[in-house]
Amino acid sequence: MRTQREQLLVMLNQIIDNNSYDRSPEQTADATATHLQKFWARSMKQQIIAYMDEDGSELCETGRLAVQKLQSI
Amino acid sequence: MIEIFDPKSQNLELNVVPDKDYGTPASQSEQMISLDIDGYEITVPQGTSVMRAAALADINIPKLCASDNLESYGSCRLCAVEIEGRRGMPASCTTPAESGMKVRTQSGKLAKLRRNIMELYISDHPLDCLTCPANGDCELQDMAGAVGLREVRYGFSGDNHLDAEKDTSNPYFTFDASKCIVCSRCVRACGEVQGTFALTVDNRGFKSTISAGQKENFLDSDCVSCGACVQACPTATLIENNVIEQGQPDHSVVTTCAYCGVGCSFKAEMKGEEVIRMVPYKGGKANMGHSCVKGRFAFGYATHKDRITEPMIRDSIDQPWKKVSWEEAIEFSARRLQETQTKYGRESIGGITSSRCTNEETYLVQKLIRAAFGNNNTDTCARVCHSPTGYGLKVTMGEAAGTQTFESVLQSDTVLVMGANPTDAHPVFGSLLRKRLRQGAKLIVIDPRSIDLLKTPHLGNAVHLQLRPGTNVAMINALAHVIVSEGLEDADFISKRCDDDNYQRWRAFIQQPENSPEAVEEVTGVAASDIRKAALWFAEAGNSAIYYGLGVTEHSQGSTTVMGIANLAMATGNIGREGVGVNPLRGQNNVQGSCDMGSFPHDLPGYQHVADDIARARFEARWGVTLDHEPGLRIPNMFDSALAGEFKGMYVQGEDIAQSDPNTQHVEAALEALDILIVQDIFLNETAKFAHVLLPGSTFLEKDGTFTNAERRINRVRKVMTPLGGKQDWEVTVMLSNALGYPMDYKHPSEIMDEIAELTPTFTGVSYQKLEEMGSIQWPCNEEFPDGSPTMHVEDFPIGEGQFAVTQYVPTSEKSTSRFPLLLTTGRILSQYNVGAQTRRTANQAWHDEDILEIHPADAELRGISDGDWLGIRSRAGDTVMRASISERMQPGVVYTTFHHPGSGANVITTDSSDWATNCPEYKVTAVQVEKVSQPSQWQQNFRRFEDEQLEHLRKGREEQAQAIRVR
Repeated sequence: MRTQREQLLVMLNQIIDNNSYDRSPEQTADATATHLQKFWARSMKQQIIAYMDEDGSELCETGRLAVQKLQSI
Repeated sequence: MIEIFDPKSQNLELNVVPDKDYGTPASQSEQMISLDIDGYEITVPQGTSVMRAAALADINIPKLCASDNLESYGSCRLCAVEIEGRRGMPASCTTPAESGMKVRTQSGKLAKLRRNIMELYISDHPLDCLTCPANGDCELQDMAGAVGLREVRYGFSGDNHLDAEKDTSNPYFTFDASKCIVCSRCVRACGEVQGTFALTVDNRGFKSTISAGQKENFLDSDCVSCGACVQACPTATLIENNVIEQGQPDHSVVTTCAYCGVGCSFKAEMKGEEVIRMVPYKGGKANMGHSCVKGRFAFGYATHKDRITEPMIRDSIDQPWKKVSWEEAIEFSARRLQETQTKYGRESIGGITSSRCTNEETYLVQKLIRAAFGNNNTDTCARVCHSPTGYGLKVTMGEAAGTQTFESVLQSDTVLVMGANPTDAHPVFGSLLRKRLRQGAKLIVIDPRSIDLLKTPHLGNAVHLQLRPGTNVAMINALAHVIVSEGLEDADFISKRCDDDNYQRWRAFIQQPENSPEAVEEVTGVAASDIRKAALWFAEAGNSAIYYGLGVTEHSQGSTTVMGIANLAMATGNIGREGVGVNPLRGQNNVQGSCDMGSFPHDLPGYQHVADDIARARFEARWGVTLDHEPGLRIPNMFDSALAGEFKGMYVQGEDIAQSDPNTQHVEAALEALDILIVQDIFLNETAKFAHVLLPGSTFLEKDGTFTNAERRINRVRKVMTPLGGKQDWEVTVMLSNALGYPMDYKHPSEIMDEIAELTPTFTGVSYQKLEEMGSIQWPCNEEFPDGSPTMHVEDFPIGEGQFAVTQYVPTSEKSTSRFPLLLTTGRILSQYNVGAQTRRTANQAWHDEDILEIHPADAELRGISDGDWLGIRSRAGDTVMRASISERMQPGVVYTTFHHPGSGANVITTDSSDWATNCPEYKVTAVQVEKVSQPSQWQQNFRRFEDEQLEHLRKGREEQAQAIRVR
């Protein structure tokens, strides 16, 4: 059974994979951050941002960029 | 009923009333002709029969073999008429009305002929009218009266059928062959209306008898128990057992079925507060007088002994229930919710709205959560079925709904059915589709399994793209690739209606070689030539329509496939008129409505995002509260959060997440982690076994409101009996809200609908008064579309231009491996409904009393499996045990089961894999291993123990109350 954080990472990576065709990492991160902003609950956003700030080792490069953008929205 | 002939009306078809049988179907011709019948000039569309033309003017010619939902047949000859200038007495049902024709429906000669015919019928018919179950509702009896039959000269001693045996095999109706007049209405209804062709006339002449299948009984034959034959029968030959046992109903109320998303209208025919039978209502625009075994017959659950009729509470789930008053249960619920919020924060509680309840009830629950709980933690079962439809169609076409009426399919030339099994899951629409297929439309099926639609009698051209589970996007891309590379796009539609930048980006993507049929052949397992053929059929037909179901949405790329479907429709210009479109077949009765009503955590009613300041401000002003601008938790997120100790309280109305949601053990652990779980339901369902408060729910027969079906059709639900628990569901939500300090003061659901109309731009024209006038309304219904919108996107899209979306194929992470070499896919069956809570408590159990695992013969042989063996099915999420059914409907490597019975544990195996955009679970792809076993799984043993404990807790709660009553 996945932890909540593991589940959020799986979901984040899925969103990235499905928004990456023909896009730069920057553009994919933009699309991903917009999706998170629109559909994730406040607590989920806070958790992924907190994870990036505290550790973030399991975030891929685009994932980190997306969470940074989410943080700045 | 007295029908008043209005001679001022030019087209009498405009005056038809649903309760009258006009003998033959209406003509669709726009050419009008006039004829003279009995001295009246009558104007009707060309092609109308003389019988119907007369009936439209309330000149009712006697008939027995004719009915207006069947093609004319001309066998009983009772409807003979005289036509000036013609010889003999032709049957009015088979004679088309012609301009200038002069018809006489009554004369001495005609009267004698009709009496002679009736005399022959009655000479071989039991004379037991007074004790016959059809007494008072028998067309044969009526016709004997109408023709003035006074004697039968032939006696009853000759050969006859009076001793014919009854067939009582079907649990809902009886076939009494002694009363049969072999009019063939049942046979024709089974073929023409239902499309099953299970009945036939066996033998010839006097020896003719009606036979189910090859002289089988009804239950063993191909009969699907839709009831069309019972409805068609003019005598007591085919009649409901309820009527035999209880007599004729004395009044009726038109209401809407609470099973699937077709939303059939029924007349609930009653005696007092007891439903005697449900008869499909001809005036219902979704079903036009047809029904399936569930809606027609499986309503007995409403008065089943298992119904929860009294509120109950307990402090923890290892305690017996305690019966309390409504006030005490609501006070307890409110207090526990408030304590939870005080301790864990405002966002620590949430709720689930029901896709089985009415729009008004769903609206109130999400309002309660947003306004009284103060957060957006609201979700609904659409999360686990059609949430990708909401996402995918909103992104591409601007509205989260199907584009057509059901009837539109009758104008389709090619029909693409993807991941749907309409003859089982949406049977009444399935029958309509089969009718169109018999008329010659081409059929494309994209499904890992061979579905019954492919066995449609008289099916013409059909292709089955039997793909591997999880490869939908590759398939839909390959179809689009062929269309673009062959130059079959509708350039005019695209240039006028679609955004060019997104179109060009999509076009460049779809032409990539990796999207060609040849490239995806290995992934999908489908021959490139078949994909190419299907693409040409779709693109080159005049009208092509797409119908899809959960086989599209319940995947890790569910939303992507929905967008791919929209791309395909837009690329070929198959949007905005009859016969085309994108049509999600919704699972439950009010899935469309629950989504429309703002059940999703990110959407206020009418799909207005919570972060939209203007929309939110309107709700805040009307509701008198400040609303959160952030989306709330979705159902799977609620479970994860509960297990993390952050989400602690839940109000669940009419939804059984413990059985229906995937990865059961995960769900059960989450429910056990809650401090307060309030379940409002008609039964002690699987979720309720984890609850602290049990509030009696009300069935669709016990409430007023509306349901919205898969065509966006808002239909009225009308109360026919007092709620067994004393309250309609919306009244309970009102009580809870008031107890939480957020006042609600609705006196009737119509007031709730008025509020919905005020706040939802697509509903501004909807009111109960308008529903009474029109019968039903398809939204959008507003200033722009005052009478609703049968077809959407006719002129433009709500977002202006259609948006093509790039749909890259990203394989699911749920793959078959050496440890789990098979792929499990799940679905449903005709006789059972969803988690089975309703249908398992009816005689529908006769058809399907357990979930079984279907497996291909090759996979079975490899494992030494025979039909009926007990099989252990194991995935990375868990394991369970079911019996085997060896079936060539499956492809090698794929197994299938249903989830209608909680003890079968189908969702113990399904995993937490979900759609990337919406978290809709991937029920359709689970890697599993299967082997023969000799005992139930550990989970099943635990399930039985837990179930016994919880039933004992319920029994004690009820018993204590009974003792208290005895003492008083």
